[in-house]
Parts: sequence; C-alpha cells; structure tokens
Amino acid sequence: MADTEVIKVGVLFSQTGVTSAIESSQLCGTLFAIREINGSGGIAGRELVPISYDPGSDPVKYRKFAEQLILTDDVQVIFGCYMSSARKAVLPVVERWNRLLFYATLYEGFEYSENVIYTGAAPNQNSVQLADFMTSNFGARVYLVGSNYIYPYESNRIMSDLVSQYRGGSKLGERYVRLDATEHDFEEIVKEIGSTRPDFIFSTVVGNATQHFYRAYAHAGFDPASMPIASLTTSEVEVAQMGADIAAGHFTAAPYFSSITSSTNQACLEKFGRVFDSQTTPNASWEAAYFQVHLFAQAMLTAGSADIETLMPALLGTEFDAPQGRVSIDPSTHHTNLNPRIGRVNREGQFDVVWEAPAPIRPDPYLVTHRLGDWMVR
Amino acid sequence: MNDEDQATHSEPALDLPVSHSLRDLRSLRVCVFHPHDSDGAQLTQQLQRIGCNVHAFWPPLASPPPGTDIVFIALCPDILIDIDDWSTVDEAPPTIAVLNYENPTVMEAMLRINAQAVVTSPIRSFGLLSVLVLAREIGRERKKMRKRIMRLEEKLGSSRKVSSAQEILCRQRGVSKDEAYRIMREQAMAKRMTVEDIASAIINASDILSSGR
Repeated sequence: MADTEVIKVGVLFSQTGVTSAIESSQLCGTLFAIREINGSGGIAGRELVPISYDPGSDPVKYRKFAEQLILTDDVQVIFGCYMSSARKAVLPVVERWNRLLFYATLYEGFEYSENVIYTGAAPNQNSVQLADFMTSNFGARVYLVGSNYIYPYESNRIMSDLVSQYRGGSKLGERYVRLDATEHDFEEIVKEIGSTRPDFIFSTVVGNATQHFYRAYAHAGFDPASMPIASLTTSEVEVAQMGADIAAGHFTAAPYFSSITSSTNQACLEKFGRVFDSQTTPNASWEAAYFQVHLFAQAMLTAGSADIETLMPALLGTEFDAPQGRVSIDPSTHHTNLNPRIGRVNREGQFDVVWEAPAPIRPDPYLVTHRLGDWMVR
Repeated sequence: MNDEDQATHSEPALDLPVSHSLRDLRSLRVCVFHPHDSDGAQLTQQLQRIGCNVHAFWPPLASPPPGTDIVFIALCPDILIDIDDWSTVDEAPPTIAVLNYENPTVMEAMLRINAQAVVTSPIRSFGLLSVLVLAREIGRERKKMRKRIMRLEEKLGSSRKVSSAQEILCRQRGVSKDEAYRIMREQAMAKRMTVEDIASAIINASDILSSGR
C-alpha cells in the first residue's frame, strides 16, 4: 500500500571541503530531526528515509548530486546547501524538475523561487540589528573583511550602507581573501586594521578560514573590548575551531545561539546530545536545518504528499516552536519569520545573548536600502 | 561561476555606490497592463516582493495613471491594434513589454510602444529586478538626452539668428562682425532684452525694409 511507503528525502551537506565543519552541523541537525519524526511514528506512519551525499563544498558536485537525487533516487524534497554558490547551482535543477529545496542558511537576499524555502536569516533579520548594535556601542567607523564570493560582497555593501547613515560613519577598508585562506593571508589585513584603528571590524569570512582570521587578530594583540569583530557567520562551530580564548569578546548576530535558556531549546539540546554526543556543535545553521525538517513534516502530514504542488499550500504559513522560538514561513517571500539576536562570545566559547528582538521579524529579502532602526519593534 | 578563485591575494574592493535606480525601487509606482492570469499574478507578486507600489489593469487604460514611474504591458495579439499612443509622447514613463509571441507583428508593436526592456512569458521571478532597474535607468538617460537635445536645438537656433542679424548689420552699416555683435549686445542691455530678441528684431525689420524695395 502506498500509505506505508517510506518517504525518501535528499540531503546535500558537505562533510569535506572549505565549509565542512558548519555543513556537517547542518547534516546532524537534519538527521536529528528525521530521527525525532521517525521516533514518534513517522509522517502518518510513513518513515522518512534520508539519502545523503557529500558534495565536498563544490558547486559543480552540488548540481550533480541534486540531479542524481531527483533522477535516480526520485526524491521530491532536498534539504541542503550552505554557500550561495551551491544554492545557485542547485536552483536550476529543482526548478527544471519542479522539486523543492529547503535552504537552512543565512544569505544575502534578492532571491525568490517557487521551488525554494529559505529558513536562514535575510539581511533585514541580522545585518540591520548588528549594525545598530555595533554603531551604538562602539562607533560607526568600520573595517570590512570577507571571503571572496558573492555573499560577502553583498553583505559588506549593506553594512557600508548602514554605517554611512550613522553620524561619523565611514568605511576604513574592505578586503577579500580566498575561501581556503590561512593565517598568512590575513597578515596584511591585520596590519591595516592596526594602522586604521576602526571602531569595529565586520567579518564575512566564512567556513574553516574564519578561525585563521580571529587568530591573526588575537596574535596582533588587539583587544575585543575596544575594537571587536562583528560577524553573521561566526557561529559556535567556528568558535570551537578557534578556541574560546581566541573568540571571547567578539560579536555575532543570528536567530539562534545554543545558549538560549528556553525549555524548548534546553530539551532539544539534551536530546540531541544523547543521540549525536559530541559529533558537532549546535549553532544557528544547525537549528535552521533542524526546524525546517519539522516544518516539512508538519506540512506533509496536512497535505498527505511531498509533491510540491500539494505540499506548498500547507507549507506556507506553517508554524513551529523551534529552539529559537516560534518560526513560520512567510507565504509571499518563502522566507522565514525569525527571532534576531546578538551574542558575545564568553570564556566558555558560548554566546551570551546581549540583545534580542522582542518579536519575530518578517523577512524582506528584496530590501536594497536598509535603514538603521526602521525594523525596530522597540 | 567560481568567483572565489579569482583572487589569490587579498585585494581592495571596488567602491560601488548604489545607483538611484536601485535606491528608488521602494517608491516606484508601477502600472501593470496584463491579463489576470498566472503570468500576471507572478509579475505583480514579484514586483510587490521587490517592494514597488503596483497597480494592475486589464484591458489597458487609455493611458497609465498620472504619476506612474514605469509601465509593464503585455503585448497580447488581441490588444495590439488598440494600444493608445501614450507610450510615444515625450513624457511617457519607461515601458517594459511582456511578450508571448516573437513574430514580426509583435516585434513591430514592441518598437511602436517604445519599449525600453522586455520580459518573456512564462514569467519567472528571476530577472524582473534587472529589467526594472535597466528600464528605469534607460528611461532616465533618455529624459536627460531629450532635455539636452532641446537645449542644444534652442542654442543652435539662437546662434543662427544672431549670425544672420550680424550679417545684416555688417552689410547695412559697413561694420565688422565683432562690431555688429557689440552693437546688438549694447541694444539688448539698454532695452533689457536678450541678444536673440534683438537679432529677431533686426531680421524682421530687414525683411520688411527689403520687401518694400
């Protein structure tokens, strides 16, 4: 009978390559949610079966495996991608075969596809809040460092735009490094930071290179108390890679930190720890990867099918009590209503939440000109 | 594809200020002339996602509502003969054609309405933002050019007038061209008129005098 048939879902997160650490955490979050769903009877008695490949942080392999998942494994839904280049590689494939991609990563915005659900933060859900916090507490003279690809370019453009609206706001430098940068690649940059003395540094360095930048900063003897690094992508995973002594005092904006004290989060972490032990460090991308599987399962339970045409109406507007708080899909943009927060790394390598939005913030992926303060619900 | 491979060393980035055409997006008043079908819905919804103020009409109005910044118009075969000529007047907002067919009849209609950009059916959300920005920029450029051409034409006309008036003075008073200009300017200052007006007066007077001969 079709009703007891397993539901195969595709999973594409890199366990090798430049973004392996953070993507492995997304893989764990995905598998954890699938396990939870199966543990409580599956979706109306049907078991979720993940089919997972390792695209090695390479967009070409993402495209290849996405095709394989659809054409050979016959999945209707794919959970995956971290870097924008990977999402852009998979996008034409899911559009061509009319399948659905769940994308659990913050990104630079300016996208909408009928075939994608975006569960990470758009710039109006992290950059605006971070700019406001950093400029009010440290000043508006910023130095921008990023990995050399599209996400950092656009995020840095937004940050420059935001600080320029602030009195005395200016951009003291903007530098890009290759994705597999080592500490050596940051020497010149750190020297320039030392001579320009910004109020804060905005880092859009992603993946395994992140630790090398923070290390180079620490080795130059700079003090986070007076000239901190602010980031959107430095999560608990990257902090674990560099060590708490290197990371302490720096800031990150994200909808989720594993330090959140709510009972939902604590129960989730406890359960996760029992199953996955110390395989990965929970973080915002992990959490989005986790809750998006639950959103899918809920919608599928209502719709009775994973076929995109049947599933989508049920999915849009679906709500879930995620570890970060209540989340829901915004029907008009396919992005997610999220709960922005700002955290500062403490001596234990955890984030102390220093600010949080009083209510979920609606995604606005096509916002060209961000205004300091215009999103506030104070 | 691999933008990430481009740089092996850290390099300073280009400064790309956001142009007006991008900044204004949220205040744009967009008029959509498109049948109320799935393409029409896709089009208006994506424009709303981008943040524009969208007003959709079908069949097309005699002209877009006053204050419209940009117009999308579906060149459906059944309305081709009825398209009013609002799109060809100088102050018409930039127009983007939505095409279902690519045959000569539709191509001619596309040229006739003075389209600045084109989107093709089936409409996808991807690509609309670029078309919008491009059409707006081209519209802005055209407006600037039109103003400039008008100014140049005026200038050219006026300098032709001044030059023939100079010639008349040279002939009748036996003075040099420079002297003729000086005389005209003196007159203009004394009578608080422009040199061009004085030139016109001289030409007119000369016409009358010579026709009486």
